[in-house]
Amino acid sequence: MKSFIPEIGCSIPRADGEAKVSGEEKYATDHYGDGLLWAGVRRAGIPHGRIRGLDAGQAKNLPGVIAILTGRDVPGTNRQGIVHKDQPVLCTDKIRHCGDPVALVLAEDRTVLAQALALITVDIEPLPGIFSIDDALRPDAPLVHEEHSGSNVLLAATVDKGNAEEAFSECDVILEETFTVPSVAHAFLETENGIAWQEPDGKIVLVVSTQAPFRDRFEISHALGIPMDRLRIIGPYLGGGFGGKDGATVQCLLVLAAIHAGGRRVKMWWSREESMAAGFKRHAVRMEYRLGAGSDGTLHALKCRLYYDTGAYAHLGGEVMALGMEHASGPYRIPHTLIEGWCVYTNNPVAGAMRGFGVAQVSFAFEGMMDRLAEKLRMDPLDLRMKNALQRGDKNGAGVTMTHSTGIVSCLEAVGSHPLWKGKEQWMAEAPPFKKRGVGVAAVFNAMGYGRGLPDSAIAKVELTAEGKIRVYCGVSDMGQGNATAFFQIAGGVLGQENDAIELVQPDTARTLPSGSASAGRTTYTYGNALIQAAEELRRRIIGRAALMILADTVDELELLPGRVKHLKSGREIPLNILASVMPPEDRICISQFIMPVARDGLETGKAFFIGFPHLLFSYAAHLAAVEMDELTGTLEVKAYLAATDAGRVLNPQSYEQQVHGAIAQGIGYALCEEIKLEEGRILTPDLATFIIPGAMDIPDMMSISVETCETSGPYGMKGAGEVGINGPLPAIAGALAQACGIRVKTAPLTAERILEAMVEQQTACERKPS
Amino acid sequence: MNRVLLPKNLPELWSFLENEPEARVYAGGTDLLVQMRARCADNLVLICLERIAELTGIREDEDGFWIGACTTFRHLLNHPRIREQIPVLAKALSTLGSPPIRNMATIGGNICTASPAGDTLPPLYVLDADLILSTQSGERVVPLSGFITAPGKTQLERGEVLTQIRIKKPEGYRVQHFEKVGQRKALACAIASMAALVKTSPAGVIESARIAWGSVGPTVVVSPDAEAALTGKTLSPAVLEAAADLAGKAMAPIDDIRATAVYRRRVAANLLLRIGT
Amino acid sequence: MIIRFVLNGEETQIDCAPDRRVIDLLREDFGLTGIKEGCGSGECGTCTILVDGENRLSCLMLAVQLEGKSITTIEGLAGENRQHPLQEAFIRCGAVQCGYCSPGMILAARALLTENPEPTREQIREALSGNLCRCTGYQKIVDAVEAAARAMQKQKEKAG
Ligand SMILES: Cc1cc2nc3c(=O)[nH]c(=O)nc-3n(C[C@H](O)[C@H](O)[C@H](O)COP(=O)(O)OP(=O)(O)OC[C@H]3O[C@@H](n4cnc5c(N)ncnc54)[C@H](O)[C@@H]3O)c2cc1C
Ligand code: FES
Ligand code: FES
Repeated sequence: MKSFIPEIGCSIPRADGEAKVSGEEKYATDHYGDGLLWAGVRRAGIPHGRIRGLDAGQAKNLPGVIAILTGRDVPGTNRQGIVHKDQPVLCTDKIRHCGDPVALVLAEDRTVLAQALALITVDIEPLPGIFSIDDALRPDAPLVHEEHSGSNVLLAATVDKGNAEEAFSECDVILEETFTVPSVAHAFLETENGIAWQEPDGKIVLVVSTQAPFRDRFEISHALGIPMDRLRIIGPYLGGGFGGKDGATVQCLLVLAAIHAGGRRVKMWWSREESMAAGFKRHAVRMEYRLGAGSDGTLHALKCRLYYDTGAYAHLGGEVMALGMEHASGPYRIPHTLIEGWCVYTNNPVAGAMRGFGVAQVSFAFEGMMDRLAEKLRMDPLDLRMKNALQRGDKNGAGVTMTHSTGIVSCLEAVGSHPLWKGKEQWMAEAPPFKKRGVGVAAVFNAMGYGRGLPDSAIAKVELTAEGKIRVYCGVSDMGQGNATAFFQIAGGVLGQENDAIELVQPDTARTLPSGSASAGRTTYTYGNALIQAAEELRRRIIGRAALMILADTVDELELLPGRVKHLKSGREIPLNILASVMPPEDRICISQFIMPVARDGLETGKAFFIGFPHLLFSYAAHLAAVEMDELTGTLEVKAYLAATDAGRVLNPQSYEQQVHGAIAQGIGYALCEEIKLEEGRILTPDLATFIIPGAMDIPDMMSISVETCETSGPYGMKGAGEVGINGPLPAIAGALAQACGIRVKTAPLTAERILEAMVEQQTACERKPS
Repeated sequence: MNRVLLPKNLPELWSFLENEPEARVYAGGTDLLVQMRARCADNLVLICLERIAELTGIREDEDGFWIGACTTFRHLLNHPRIREQIPVLAKALSTLGSPPIRNMATIGGNICTASPAGDTLPPLYVLDADLILSTQSGERVVPLSGFITAPGKTQLERGEVLTQIRIKKPEGYRVQHFEKVGQRKALACAIASMAALVKTSPAGVIESARIAWGSVGPTVVVSPDAEAALTGKTLSPAVLEAAADLAGKAMAPIDDIRATAVYRRRVAANLLLRIGT
Repeated sequence: MIIRFVLNGEETQIDCAPDRRVIDLLREDFGLTGIKEGCGSGECGTCTILVDGENRLSCLMLAVQLEGKSITTIEGLAGENRQHPLQEAFIRCGAVQCGYCSPGMILAARALLTENPEPTREQIREALSGNLCRCTGYQKIVDAVEAAARAMQKQKEKAG
């Protein structure tokens, strides 16, 4: 490859591409080492119960077993959790879901490990379980967490504006519907894993597939009682994350194992089945909606009740619900809203962050309501959306004034003028035998950042190395979304250096600085802003120090060029390695912090959320899905897809499109086939043969239009592009199905079985109608 | 540790089997190794059949094909005569698993696994395939239709190996149809499948119809009533619907993680309507 | 037992348990960690290797099955060259995101292009249908395979 200066706005290839296609990139899974030990977890296998006893005698005697640890061996609080510390590293007493860990085994190899795990017997007294939202809310329901405020409600909250109850009397039409979406798995291809060891000085090093290395350090320290300065967390590139590696998975277990490994390396790598059972999931949600509008389609009042099943532990449940509630009224202007939410504990697997954090769920509901309203009023569904779409200066459903870039109208215009929309009637008319066709639209949005309550901060560090190269210390993980490449471009652009002269250091608590999690569409925005500041400071320094060497009386005559500083008048040049050799190390490093701006409206609502509400910045998208449904089987196929996205300015068109495509594909999976099925807390879809994600033949070629607004607070005008795209497919496809055959499915996913069932019902209803 | 033996020819296989009567044979391993992973099996003897030349390959004669039990799906699909003469089988193979699965998995493995969802089974049923089961001392021929006795259960006896599959060419069957309903396009276990052979007269009258369904009963389901209802009629939606109703009665599907029995029965019967197009 | 095979063009022999999974043998004993494990049960394709040029799943093969075979892993795909045209195209076309599926995808595509040097997009999708990707939505992967096919055709024409 030729050398180039990675600049902003260009489709420069991924900084990590070469190592990834050659197989050289070392993910966490790819670390081994001499004398490696394997660690594994015995899980409860029972959804709710009390541990009466644990017998590891036989397992302990197995040759090759190094240690078997239980909750009693956990030195610290034995509690992990991002907001609420309610999740044990190893259960000592109560079991709250099937994936709960009861013992940790260290063994010489995987075969012995498997045998030892099978030999451990756990005596658990079963307790009546809570397996659904309704179970959880029954007044006499057994408690998942006895110590938690006497109910299974982790968090109940209200977000409101105006007076919704009264406003319904002013509406010409009122529609009601209840929607449900299931829990789904992230299904990243690299399952949860890591490797840890204790250094001779007692410090513990953990290399782990994580979205939040700095928070991990904090969690481990708290749960295991190890001072933070004794822990070093290294977070290499991830084989996918999507939210599922935002929180402790193997971290505390591995560090605990390392303490007992006598300096040997210990590896833990969850199998796909273990990842399904013990890994985080997307929340299953029930959404009861009531929407009121004028006869001209102007939205007037919305009331909804949202119920989030957060599973056995709090994890990010409250925050996921907060974001869902904040988005429950869609990217629309609705003067009166009343949104109530309950996030409940159950004995189901633990739910948490997943791309479209709480929003992917409500998008199905609010867009489903818009489609129903359009049908009722005989309005074009796109016109109805356009009419009500948020504009800058409007207040959104939570009452926050949209003071920043708000591009939803432009997104809707872009899809509305596209041939896929304009030519839809003809395309639908040309359906082959036994097929019905439809085109659906969805308007969606997604907030960026953590919201109020904790600083959304990143600290960038950039160095002119002794060799005269640029090294960027990324404090935030790259799980595949390409933020590292954006940082590469920012450093390259600001400092004018070529690709070979820029090195990226992936997160490492010993080398990089805390920059929050790779999540919430914040990664490039927050760290990018910090990096621009740091890189600009470094540029000033380099030029300033060069001025001293060159005896220039003004820095204006100097320019930083690839590998050198040039004095333009005299043509003299100082190579960067020479310059670096006279700069002391601390002079060669620049550090800068950036904190995301927050909403300034003094809201009197959402008081129950102490973090994560409300947000100021949003990305927007309008999607079109063209589908074909088979009348004999009910199978739905997405034939064409269009997304118009407002994620501010595009720093790298290729990376941007990757995010759009990836989000749509996951959204199509969410719409058509993904579903964690449970029976009394047990996963019936434990692997990739039963938890179905789309393959190469299930996703059509997608079209992406970038509606570039300029987000003035963002680095070069950008906003997060990673999440918003996942919110569109489910509602757009559901709308398309209704267009095709009049069936409105209100339970996701839209499986062939559900559709065929609905068609049979529709037919019987027709036959019953007197003609 | 498990021992794994890799015989190069049939005599070697027979001697291994003689010494290790408890050994499990496998060909592509795409069923057996997945099962073993779940069960953490240890101290077994496995015999891998993939290198036995006598068990792989396709031979055509006057009225049909001899297919070695360990022939991979890829090999079958790449065989132009199979694609041309028995498209009903080729279509089923092209939907089976995924390309790497088809590169490894074998037709004999699919038959011996005896899964209700085995994708080769409905086409092999309508083709009236015969199986050659061999031991060191001899062989017997059994029709596929009697071979599978229950899910996962076959007439294979200890030490017996499926060596060949015999398929006669379906002369005159102009319509050769296969369709599978799964949860996605590839890597999809059948929720229901159907293979059909239909022979019509020049005037369009159905002279003979052979139809078999997968995944709607403990093993492949056939419906003589439905076949009879088609015979002597012309292929029309009404005729097909009547036959589909009868077919539904022959099915005994179950609810499982992929679909309910109700859906399976409905969709399997519906598949019949497609032959009219 | 001793197993002899050709690994990325070199004659190799190793003494190992006959029931060792090929994926473990190659990753752990040979350090070929470009082979990934996403499921261990044939569903994801991340463990793809080429066995005599055919894409197979190393999580469902036992060590003895390597005997006498020629194995190519992602590490050996480029051979003497710095990069195979497929690798080059995957980077250029943006077919790589997290990259965990990439080695398997590239090898599956390699097997396709050997058999069918000018595949249609549909044929490419079908050939890659045993390799799951959770990041890309597949489109750019299909683009990359198309681009690599063109590049390889050109190379061939140049070579005469
Ligand atoms: C990811 C994946 C997807 C799949 N998709 C499908 C699908 O879509 N449709 C489908 O039908 N199947 C599917 N399967 C199942 C499997 O691939 C097939 O059943 C395949 O045909 C099995 O062949 P094999 O050679 O791999 O069998 P093996 O695993 O080698 O053997 C299977 C069984 O048959 C026995 N056996 C094998 N050969 C003989 C013989 N010659 N004589 C006696 N006994 C023998 C073995 O002892 C074993 O019990 C899938 C499997 C996987 C892993
Ligand atoms: S690891 Fe082999 S197919 Fe998934
Ligand atoms: S790039 Fe992440 S799985 Fe394909």
